[in-house]
Amino acid sequence: MEHDKKFSVVNPSKMCQPMGAVQALLGVNDTMPIIHGSQGCSTYIRFQLTRHFREPIDVASTSMSEKTVIYGGEFNLMKALKNVSEKQSPKMIAVTSSCLTETIGEDMEGIIEKFKDANFDKNLPIIVPISTPSYVESHVEGYNRTIKALVENLAESSTPNGKINIINGILSPADVKNVKQLLNDLNCPNIMLTDTSENLDAPLSEETLGLYKDGTTIEEIQDTANSLGTISISKHADSAATFLEQKYGVKSVSGPLPLGIENTDQFVNNVCELTGIEVPESVKKDRGRLLDAMVDAHSYNYHRKVAIFGDPDFVSGMTRFTSEMGMTPTVVCTGAKSNKFTEDIGLIASQKGIDPVVLAGNDLYDMHREIKDAGADILIGNSYGASIAEEEKIPLFRVGFPIFDRMGAQRISTLGYNGGTEFVDRLTNTLLDFYYDEAGYELEKSEEIIEEELFAEGEFV
Amino acid sequence: MPYKLLEVDKKIPQRKNHVYVKHCSDPEDEIPDCNTKTVPGSMSERGCAFAGVKGVITGAIKDVIHVVHSPIGCTSYGYGTKRYPTTPDMPNGEKFPIDNFNLKYILGTDLQESDVVFGGMKKLKKSIIEAHKEFPEATAIYTYSTCTTGLIGDDLDAVAKETSEELGIEVVAFNAPGFCGPSQSKGHHVGNLTLFENLVGTKEPLETTPYDVNLIGEYNIDGDLWIIKDYLEEMGINLLSKFTGDCSHDEICWMHRAKLSLVRCQRSATYIADLIEEKYGVPYIKVDFFSTKYCAENLRTIGKYFGLEEEAEKVIESRMEKVAPEIEFYKSKLQGKRVFIFSGGPKSYHLSKPLEEELGMETVAVASQFEHKDGYEKMKSRVKEGTLIVDDPNSLEFEEIIQVYKPDLILAGVKEKYLAHKLGVPCLLIHSYENGPYMGFEGFVNLAKDMYRNIYSPVWSMLEFEEEPSVGENAEVHEDSSEKQETKPENTGELA
Repeated sequence: MEHDKKFSVVNPSKMCQPMGAVQALLGVNDTMPIIHGSQGCSTYIRFQLTRHFREPIDVASTSMSEKTVIYGGEFNLMKALKNVSEKQSPKMIAVTSSCLTETIGEDMEGIIEKFKDANFDKNLPIIVPISTPSYVESHVEGYNRTIKALVENLAESSTPNGKINIINGILSPADVKNVKQLLNDLNCPNIMLTDTSENLDAPLSEETLGLYKDGTTIEEIQDTANSLGTISISKHADSAATFLEQKYGVKSVSGPLPLGIENTDQFVNNVCELTGIEVPESVKKDRGRLLDAMVDAHSYNYHRKVAIFGDPDFVSGMTRFTSEMGMTPTVVCTGAKSNKFTEDIGLIASQKGIDPVVLAGNDLYDMHREIKDAGADILIGNSYGASIAEEEKIPLFRVGFPIFDRMGAQRISTLGYNGGTEFVDRLTNTLLDFYYDEAGYELEKSEEIIEEELFAEGEFV
Repeated sequence: MPYKLLEVDKKIPQRKNHVYVKHCSDPEDEIPDCNTKTVPGSMSERGCAFAGVKGVITGAIKDVIHVVHSPIGCTSYGYGTKRYPTTPDMPNGEKFPIDNFNLKYILGTDLQESDVVFGGMKKLKKSIIEAHKEFPEATAIYTYSTCTTGLIGDDLDAVAKETSEELGIEVVAFNAPGFCGPSQSKGHHVGNLTLFENLVGTKEPLETTPYDVNLIGEYNIDGDLWIIKDYLEEMGINLLSKFTGDCSHDEICWMHRAKLSLVRCQRSATYIADLIEEKYGVPYIKVDFFSTKYCAENLRTIGKYFGLEEEAEKVIESRMEKVAPEIEFYKSKLQGKRVFIFSGGPKSYHLSKPLEEELGMETVAVASQFEHKDGYEKMKSRVKEGTLIVDDPNSLEFEEIIQVYKPDLILAGVKEKYLAHKLGVPCLLIHSYENGPYMGFEGFVNLAKDMYRNIYSPVWSMLEFEEEPSVGENAEVHEDSSEKQETKPENTGELA
């Protein structure tokens, strides 16, 4: 679908690379991210993350100012490394760049080496530089580059560990937990890249204060070179998997995000193929429960038009899942330009007999226009969809990032058989709340919609 | 010594000058160091200059469209961050066709690598033309430089001039890239100067009255402005221009015609009041509408200026009648509760005294992200002996202050809220409010009610770590740090 609007973005459906980088780093144990840029980068990102996860989020900044922009940020980066090393004393510091420092051509690696040399006699944290220019691609690529940088800097070949590496992509802590649980149910030892499930959904007790205490450990990242294989459930974050395959011969499998029956089956098959595990009875039962939920809910979902937006793997996964449920995806939108995404949607469309408007590299303004044309009974996406849903008088089912106008963003489950079951129930209940009366009968307003459609299709003309 | 080196700052001794304990026998100019560059790696809560101009000054204007000249990040993060509602009412009596237009849309140039290499002015120009095409209802187009476009030297003023002539609509360029100035405060300043230089004096109001005022530095957070507007209108005073809560672009153009300017947020907007006074002779007064006492005092001052003393009394009386019993109730509940106010700037001195005098609370610490010298002087004058005054506190200091000063309630922002929760202390959002508005008589009741609800919720009594041993000034700040140091050999010497 081509638009005449080409130059600007109106209400973006993507963020910048450092945001994806920070989200990946918050799943690493005892690690402090530093954004080498102006104070705003770190503050804006913390603001978004805090209001979504409702957890204290620390991200350091090198607080670049006019002068340092002219003379280079060496002093600021050295100072920040010193202050974070001394005050927070993390095991690892990950330094991401920003549009500012990329534009002035800052040599981050050189400065980090200089810092290490100057403190050769001290016990320093591991320091990993990550290049994340905000003017290249989006937060999805920032996540990808960060996982790759972690693995490149840390992975070490030793003895085979029989584990599977999983590259998650940007997921809710609950969904990371769902993936972990499914692997545990399959008796598949694993290394999560990265594991945000505890750090970003922390229990309230004094012990949770201090630096990110849980998450993937540095030793685990080192050990990724010795695994049986890597499954990137985010196809757009598989660079580290390719690296591990090329350098250490760790087999790489890309996708799919285990969203819905078919994708989760595929994921389980991938795990079984890599490990030779047989699917245990308990997992088969969970699968059966998801099928049961989908069958029980089918009459409320059938032919409901759905518009979906968010990160590319989420949107394609959700397109398949809602199609499995009998819904009709009419508009699917992601902010990232991605051929993988367009191909995925094309395949799903041909398999499922749907014909959604596909927006890749587009924004919420484009999506809104398409929804007006193609229609939607429900919108699935983050809080930025609220005003569109309000204007179109349809419900917004909140999944993704950021969600700042509802509680529990960190506990939204969609992945695996169990997460899928929860999703089917909640989505269907949202439709019931909106389109049905308290006795479970469809409200008149949706019948009117159907009549309008019939007219539009020429039945009564 | 009144300056205090917090435990967590031992390794950054320069932070000592930013932390001050009020000592009454000190000279008056003894205040925390402020408005200086943030220490890299110190976990500051500050924002950038772009956030200051777009997020505070211009974001509240109801009828303009914003084009952010940046890679995707700044545009994305500049969208939907603040709660300043608007009405569709325009000065000429017409309605703006899109409700809360200022909250609904943001445009950006989504700069790519090639733009950074070859310059982004062409793209900006096309985007501005596109903005006009997509949003023909917008009265004007505002465009913003950011770190990247500031660095590559794109001339936004030239593009604004060119597109303005081409489109026949005002296009205003704001040059506040994120790296300029020590905090968002720089962006406030640039916003004031740009609006003054480009707009003020360029249009004439449709009608004037002898009672025309500018309400400056009031951004209508959660409807604050509408409360004050009601009071002033009941007194017979006409809000000729607002700067910039619920305001239209044109109102700024005729600010020079007011008889008096009222400056509410004195940190972010005294600049324009000064400039208008200097060039057009419109005097201004600094006003304070938080709490019943300040609100009454200031309405009386305004009444006196215009000879509307009786009208002011009527407003005060009618409101006090309503709110006095409620305030009495909340005072009985909030009596003796210790509060730590960490605002962006002025709210730390707007609220410190009223919470003590009208609600019986005790202000144990005040802090600000970006206040300047004059603000800290005022802050100091309004707290009692022994109160901690901190400039630009970071998250570790914030934690230590909570553990040492043991507030029952914190007024701060969303970045601090959940850290406070983890420490078992309620934290009320004071930048964008919870159940506001908080200004004026009714607003003060809302604030008291929210504070009461935050403190008295039974959830706090369920927390098990209430009886933890108190952290003294010389004790370890949190237990983690000692554990951590056991597993990792401590650095003996200073890092280079």
